[in-house]
Amino acid sequence: MGGPASLMLTMGGVGHVIIAHGGDMISPDLNRQVLGSESVLGKPRAGDFGEYLRSMNQFVEVEAIGHEPNDAEAAELAARCDIILSCPPTFEERLRLNLAAVQAGIPFIDAAQWGMTGTLIVVKPGQTACLECLYPEPPPFEELFPVVGAISAATGSLAALEAIKILSGTGEPMWGKMLTYDGYRGNVTIVQLQRRDGCACCSSL
Amino acid sequence: MRVLLIALKSASAMKIQISYTGRSYQTSTLLPAEITLDENSSVADALRMLTKDLSDEQQLPASCLVAVSGEHIGTLSSYTNRPLRDRDELILIAPVAGG
Repeated sequence: MGGPASLMLTMGGVGHVIIAHGGDMISPDLNRQVLGSESVLGKPRAGDFGEYLRSMNQFVEVEAIGHEPNDAEAAELAARCDIILSCPPTFEERLRLNLAAVQAGIPFIDAAQWGMTGTLIVVKPGQTACLECLYPEPPPFEELFPVVGAISAATGSLAALEAIKILSGTGEPMWGKMLTYDGYRGNVTIVQLQRRDGCACCSSL
Repeated sequence: MRVLLIALKSASAMKIQISYTGRSYQTSTLLPAEITLDENSSVADALRMLTKDLSDEQQLPASCLVAVSGEHIGTLSSYTNRPLRDRDELILIAPVAGG
């Protein structure tokens, strides 16, 4: 999901894109990692993904980090960014990025998928619900779950679209809303999210 | 005549649309698209009706988001109970984190 999102941002010419992705490329991921290819199998993926992004737009500066940021690194990266797009596979990582965005006071977009379903949340720190308002404790990790590349690409592209709207000041970002596309049924649901009193992440803002 | 009107009113029912999405499409196929509740029923009443026939393995996750007609009210483990109105949509979104 981070692949299509970063690809759309790079092709859209946002200026500077930082991607972070640990681990080597494995064959089960090829069904949705649009920045990868069979030639990368068994190799660290972040550097190759960065090269691909650079090849798509020479005017965009691309930084590729070959591991998942820890708390301190996430905070340091957030301080250098105008927006964070969250697309990792665990809630622990998503909540870490959410915290970094809230502390830096920058918009946060969370994009996730399961099977043929995608979800999108757009956060304006201090004004709309953050991810920790919704999930004070990380929901249980699911080791194995279905992934359809088409929903990853669709949801990642929608996340990029929200980012482009926010960065360019165009249109009406989905602040404080959660969009769910249930591809199994073709249903779109939009929910207005509520901030949670006492949220350890954002209630002081 | 007055007694008859009261009787009719107390017998009225509400239809509530059910939308379950997010993690586990299989679970969503176990739930009805619509339920009928007595007037003045609440979100808690609806959830009790929805889950009473699910096995332990089929139960909805505690971190499932709950919303009523587009308004988020919490998670299954911690939500603000509220009355439902006829034709409300009860939305349940099981947490999703796939990247």
